[in-house]
Amino acid sequence: MFERIMSSKGWWRLFQAYGLVFLIFLYLPLALIFVYSFNANPINMAVWTEFTFDWYKTIFFGAGTAGSFDAAFTESPDRIFEVVRNSAIVALSASTISTVIGTATAIAIRRYDFVGKKVYQALLVLPMIVPDIVLGIALLIFFVGAGFELSLLTVIIGHTTFLSSYVFVVVSARLAGMDMSLERASADLGAGPLTTFRRVTLPQIMPGVVGGFLLAFIISLDDVVITYFIAGVGSQTLPLFILAMMRRGLRPQINALAILLLSFTFTVAAIGLYLRSRKS
Amino acid sequence: MDGFLQIRSATKMYRTPEGGSIRALDDVTLHIRSNELISLLGPSGCGKTTLLKCIAGFEDLDHGDITLTGQSLTRIPAHRRPFNTVFQNYALFPHLTVERNVAYGLDVAHVERKERTRRVGEALEQVGLAGFGARMPNQLSGGQQQRVAVARSLVLKPKVLLLDEPLSALDRKMRESMQIELKSLQHSVGITFIFVTHDQEEALSMSDRVAVLASGKVQQLASPKEIYDEPQNEFVANFVGTSNIFKGKVIAKEGRTLTLKTANGRELAVASDRFGVGDDACAVLRPEHLKLSGEARDRAIKGTVTQSVFVGSEMHLHVDVGLGRTAVVRHRHNKGSTEAAYGPGADVTLYYTPEAAHVIECKGA
Amino acid sequence: MAETGATASRNRRTLILLLAPLTILLGVFFLIPLGIMVVYSFLEPGLYGGVEWNWYPYNYGRLIGWPLNDYEVFDPIYLKIFLNSLQIALMTVAGTLLLSYPAAFWVASMKGPRKSLVLFLVALPFFANMLVRIYAWLLLLRPTGFLSTLLESTGLIIEPLDLLFTNFSVIVGMVYVLTPFMFLPIYANVEKLDYSLVRASRDLGATNVQTLWRIILPLTAPGIIGGSVIVFIPALGNFIVPSLLGGSKVQMTGNLIERSFLQSRDWPFGAALALLIMAFVVVLFSLQFSRQSKSEGQGTR
Repeated sequence: MFERIMSSKGWWRLFQAYGLVFLIFLYLPLALIFVYSFNANPINMAVWTEFTFDWYKTIFFGAGTAGSFDAAFTESPDRIFEVVRNSAIVALSASTISTVIGTATAIAIRRYDFVGKKVYQALLVLPMIVPDIVLGIALLIFFVGAGFELSLLTVIIGHTTFLSSYVFVVVSARLAGMDMSLERASADLGAGPLTTFRRVTLPQIMPGVVGGFLLAFIISLDDVVITYFIAGVGSQTLPLFILAMMRRGLRPQINALAILLLSFTFTVAAIGLYLRSRKS
Repeated sequence: MDGFLQIRSATKMYRTPEGGSIRALDDVTLHIRSNELISLLGPSGCGKTTLLKCIAGFEDLDHGDITLTGQSLTRIPAHRRPFNTVFQNYALFPHLTVERNVAYGLDVAHVERKERTRRVGEALEQVGLAGFGARMPNQLSGGQQQRVAVARSLVLKPKVLLLDEPLSALDRKMRESMQIELKSLQHSVGITFIFVTHDQEEALSMSDRVAVLASGKVQQLASPKEIYDEPQNEFVANFVGTSNIFKGKVIAKEGRTLTLKTANGRELAVASDRFGVGDDACAVLRPEHLKLSGEARDRAIKGTVTQSVFVGSEMHLHVDVGLGRTAVVRHRHNKGSTEAAYGPGADVTLYYTPEAAHVIECKGA
Repeated sequence: MAETGATASRNRRTLILLLAPLTILLGVFFLIPLGIMVVYSFLEPGLYGGVEWNWYPYNYGRLIGWPLNDYEVFDPIYLKIFLNSLQIALMTVAGTLLLSYPAAFWVASMKGPRKSLVLFLVALPFFANMLVRIYAWLLLLRPTGFLSTLLESTGLIIEPLDLLFTNFSVIVGMVYVLTPFMFLPIYANVEKLDYSLVRASRDLGATNVQTLWRIILPLTAPGIIGGSVIVFIPALGNFIVPSLLGGSKVQMTGNLIERSFLQSRDWPFGAALALLIMAFVVVLFSLQFSRQSKSEGQGTR
């Protein structure tokens, strides 16, 4: 289509080349981590010595199990397991709860009209607009002031609050394309509200619900800023752990850990994007 | 021959996604006169829009060339050609007022403000939209948007105005009134309009000449009357209006009158200068030229009515004439007449005057 | 359709049931905390953290350099940091815009499965952990990092190149992290752009540059503005990028907020800083909202 804007072949080629540069800009930094994660050089990652899987092995089995890495270069597998477990608990519970709550809200907004609906809808998207750091410190002040002990629970509550908004938006988008007369048709055919929901509404909005859940899950898993303020001593999540590692100095084990985390989130995201593209 | 806008052996290929290529234009030669309204008529995919784009300069030809008063346009980009286009969806700039839309071409050419205002005013007046200058495009009706698009092009005083199915988005009534308006506008501005359409009625009613296109080739270029009465081939006969086509062999010739014998042994009398005994030929009979009769007649076609459709002013009868062929007949039904009603199942005889039949060559008769 | 009283009251019950969870959640864990933060920003910091319940406007005074008490002198250090944050955020907007705008046209010019694939590739890094993405730039920019080593080995530079801990490195990191936020709204707009308008403009005699300036830019402005707003806000409040790529040399408001909460334990001052950022958010979004509803009021075809 746009060939004609680029009236000469030269401009068109430049345009194509730019596109490649853009993709390289997006992926080269990540590719660098990937390559470095297999570099055996424990001191300077930019200098290649030899190929190794050892950094990955140390994540699961600890220092000394692979080659002769000093414990100073690695974290203990127990510690890593603990933060991964924390992250999993937080991400799974926060995204599950927010999927239920966000979906319920989206259905209510789509189905009913009520006084102040516009304002209410604006309130619903507010948590997505407020900068992370503001939300983080507001929750910190609140939790401390209300006597909550900072723990996995406070992190889950914090995440659920803003993730519900994301799920609400995703499910609403799906509901907007749904024919509401189907619900009436179902009721007309004698189905009760619950049956109608289970057999008509839910199957229709399922892609939105699953998409919302996956999005919430990834955001929760990746969140740094809000968690940073409301996580307690025993409730460090994986991103916070990586942040702490980075602040202590760049060591090769971070590469391997980062690549494992990336592979996981990319897989989940790819499933989500695939489901969305298949439905539209 | 008027050498105003000449298209010679224009060929344009497109690559298909499967890796093959299709000829959107296949050796098209057309001579377009100055100050005429010519329609490019054809089904979708016939190449009419491609031809328009090539004339406008949005696409380049693979072979052949286009000249304007003898000068080749090949190396002249779209924005330098003295042509302007009215797009199918009008392509009005949604962020600009009517006035700014019409002024656009003058703006980008840095025409001085006084003259610009004058010409924009003139153009809006021409299309009957004086006083609408401050509106936004989305505050106008379809017909008004159409006029703005025309004014926006005419303000630049092009030598040729290209119209790409400009009426297809309008409803029937509006379309008919715009047809008349465009025709009279063309008369008053006195430039060539090239009008792309798939609507044959539109092409026939507005144009000085019609070029019928199919599969990248010009099938016939002639006046609307000629196109309808004397289609050059089967495609034109079928595409323009409804035709009953009978294929056969000429078995006798008597002055201008030929006798055509069809596959099922029927003998038809037709008038033509062109064919001789032994030639394959097709007789084209328009539904309005077929008359109905209850009784048997000489040199007539017998058949059985299979369907009769009432369309208000007349009846359209579908008549089975044997060998699985159906002929369409238009029958004016007089109110209060005592004529027998030709319902399904009625046996009828169709007759016509040999002069009413048009004879064309048959492809693989 | 007239509803019977029974149906209406059942509907009302269902509505309340469906809306209650999120309403309570947002009320208790979102609105109330934000309210408390506003209140805190006007209170006196306690000696060992926490607050004293005294009216204390000096949090805001300190922000713009007013001498706080008798023993403090005029020092606009926080104002300077805030202005630097604004500058970095604006440069980030400019950087993401320059990168994303042509890229959006590039993707929009593609067709079929190739387009889906490239869109997927562009969207995917959006889901990569922010820390990991910043970390990648640490590896690229530090003196013993990829860029420096590469340039040294080609002989272009002799001394190791230290690109870290500058406004530049912070902006690069921000641009990298926030580019998807700019790309997606612009792309949505470019994708919708009616190409016949471009052709009409060319047909009416406009050059490519005139077409870009008069037609394409105005028509894609909503995407540009939308993208700019949602890049600007997280850039302004960000503290992770400056703390990792800016070190102690580049301070942004986000770092100040973090420090006043987790180190100096001056919560009221941190709250005041957060509200300053919130003020930008509120103003930008209400502008955006009124612009949007205005264009909707006019109706779009």
